Amino acid sequence: MFHPPRRPSHARPGRALGTLLGLMLPLALGQAQPPARATGHGSFTAFHEAKAHRLTADHSKFKILQGPFKDGDGPAVTRACLTCHTKAAEQVMATSHWTWNISKGGQDGFGKSTHLVNNYCISTIGGNTESCARCHVGYGYKDKTFDFTNQENVDCLVCHDTTGDYEKEKAGLPNPAVPLAEVAQKVGAPTNRNCGTCHFFGGGGDATKHGDLDDTILNAPRAEDVHMSKQGAGMDCIDCHVSDGHRINGPNYVVPADRREQPKYPGEAVSRMACTACHSDSPHRSYILNRHYQKVACQTCHIPAFARGKIPTNLYWDWSTAGRLKDGKGYEEEDANGFEDYNSMHGVMKWARNVTPTYIWYNGNLTFTRLTDTLRIPKDGPVVLNPAEGSYADPNAKIWPFKLHDGVQPYDTVLNRFVAPYTAGPKGSGAYWGDWNWDVAIRMGMETAGLPYSGHHGFVKTTMLWPITHMVAPKEQALSCTECHSRKGRLAQVSGFYLIGRDRGRGLDQIGLGIIALTLLGVGIHGFIRYTKGHF
Amino acid sequence: MRRVLLYEAFERFWHWAQALLIILMMLTGFEIRGLGIHLFGFERAVSLHNTLAVTLVVLIVFAIFWHVTTGEWRQYIPTRTFLREMVAFYLTGIFKGAPHPVKKHRMAKLNPLQRLAYLGFKVMIIPIQITTGALYYFYPNLQHALHWPASSLWIIAVLHVATAFGLVAFLVGHVYLTTTGHTPLTNLKAMVTGWEDLHDDAYFDEQ
Repeated sequence: MFHPPRRPSHARPGRALGTLLGLMLPLALGQAQPPARATGHGSFTAFHEAKAHRLTADHSKFKILQGPFKDGDGPAVTRACLTCHTKAAEQVMATSHWTWNISKGGQDGFGKSTHLVNNYCISTIGGNTESCARCHVGYGYKDKTFDFTNQENVDCLVCHDTTGDYEKEKAGLPNPAVPLAEVAQKVGAPTNRNCGTCHFFGGGGDATKHGDLDDTILNAPRAEDVHMSKQGAGMDCIDCHVSDGHRINGPNYVVPADRREQPKYPGEAVSRMACTACHSDSPHRSYILNRHYQKVACQTCHIPAFARGKIPTNLYWDWSTAGRLKDGKGYEEEDANGFEDYNSMHGVMKWARNVTPTYIWYNGNLTFTRLTDTLRIPKDGPVVLNPAEGSYADPNAKIWPFKLHDGVQPYDTVLNRFVAPYTAGPKGSGAYWGDWNWDVAIRMGMETAGLPYSGHHGFVKTTMLWPITHMVAPKEQALSCTECHSRKGRLAQVSGFYLIGRDRGRGLDQIGLGIIALTLLGVGIHGFIRYTKGHF
Repeated sequence: MRRVLLYEAFERFWHWAQALLIILMMLTGFEIRGLGIHLFGFERAVSLHNTLAVTLVVLIVFAIFWHVTTGEWRQYIPTRTFLREMVAFYLTGIFKGAPHPVKKHRMAKLNPLQRLAYLGFKVMIIPIQITTGALYYFYPNLQHALHWPASSLWIIAVLHVATAFGLVAFLVGHVYLTTTGHTPLTNLKAMVTGWEDLHDDAYFDEQ
């Protein structure tokens, strides 16, 4: 590509020729002038042009992708992909996107397909797999008979579709209306839309689960998300969640958060999940601000609130109040904001936007609870499903912002374990949303899950911690000092250390100010006597 | 009566610069502490407080050099001579118009109470504030390097604040006592111009 030289108009004679050449050459080569690129970081256009520039394959030129593919025949597309990308399925199958299972600390079972428990939909394995598998990166995951070793079952398109036309249905199968050949010819690197198809909708709805991830990110103004906004840096999820042979960095289940990671060998794809990977650990002009990094996560100041898009996130979900019926049918109610605060299927719920996070010492490790773990129910307060590890004394721990999700959920009162009820199913199936009977739903769920159930259930209050790390605000919105350095600031409840501005002994202040007051009083009296005696 | 240059140019500069720095540090310190002052905003108060602290330390280094090279440090050698009389003067004599018990002299311009107070200020209050202030500032580094317990910052903070209260009380007393000269403004004028009319005969001869 020829770039016409840019010179001031008085540069030298002959510039006319240069300009003429500059104008003509691109035309002659059949190229338009490249659009002006914004300087520095923060240009969506420039960023994505550069990305497009790197591609070496135009998938619409491959014969095998011309189709036709039978309606809804995802595995046929996968077979086509695998003819060139022969190891791709193998790679995907090694990841938790496929296995829905994670081992942690030498123990197995921390995944959706295994025994992980949350306080939204609770668990997938009590007979709900088919509807939950809409978000499985595979085809046909209905129940535990699913063949996790069949490469054709890997769904390439859900992550690599660039048209936005691809859609998954029950058991993760493509909607038969999806034009598979068209989609297959336009595959590319995952965009925010691909990741968001599932990750924006955790907990069963947009923004429900995380609080810092919802589909407003796709069109976010800069104020909502300085990284993802097209007016901001215009980044994609995968710019930070770098992948290495389909293994995408960043699952919060295993990777300690916010640690600088160095490549082990040149060219290793290193996670850029830590802010420091791009921003360094001293990005502020102020030395004092930089030093906060030792104990305060970047997110704490730079994400002043979560759910800053238009959509509320769920803060409370009380399963024990589900199942109220009107004329034998479930119903819904809305609160003053128009948010659904009751639904017979889910019970009482609370939703909110612009929520101030809760701040907790956190070294990157959350200890999750499984269906097979015995509960310790505190006398007062909820069972914390995934307590955060860390304290002031822990050199790896920082103060982190969290979304706390409170709930009330069923458990086995004899075995003291959580249960996985069968919830999604029609009338007569035994599913809770069909027949409104907890006992049956839990019994069936636990049977499907292959787990023991005593036959006695109760409800217990639970809390779950969701680290807030997305939807980073522009720096103008970062917290000011006194948000924390004040008596009743955001860190009022975070203990274990002395915080200037928050911790001050009233006694010391009273004594100190008292001494100053007494001195003033003393000199006042002294001066007054001098004055009355005429010797001032 | 003689006009005497009691305070040299540098001495006056040092005094007033130090006064300004200390008053600003008092205001910013109170604001950081959360004592109801909202002049600068927390962030600027913190950075100003730190900048002023460094400035004050530099000034004090120059002042120490000046005291040593001029021999003026001897002015602060504590003495018991006339100490009791000074106390009695402030408690009773001053109300009766009694003469000042100590005659000011170029080589002994501070009365025994001043000597004690200023010496205490120089060797106690200021060093404590500089030390605790530096420990405060470098606490994250020190705590990390020396494995201090988390509560150590609390101790540093209490010392720093308690001494600061003491310093402010000192300032109040100091400002008031400047009015106890021949006229209420005599001492202040001397500290501004450097010159003072010494009415009384010196108790020992001029050099």
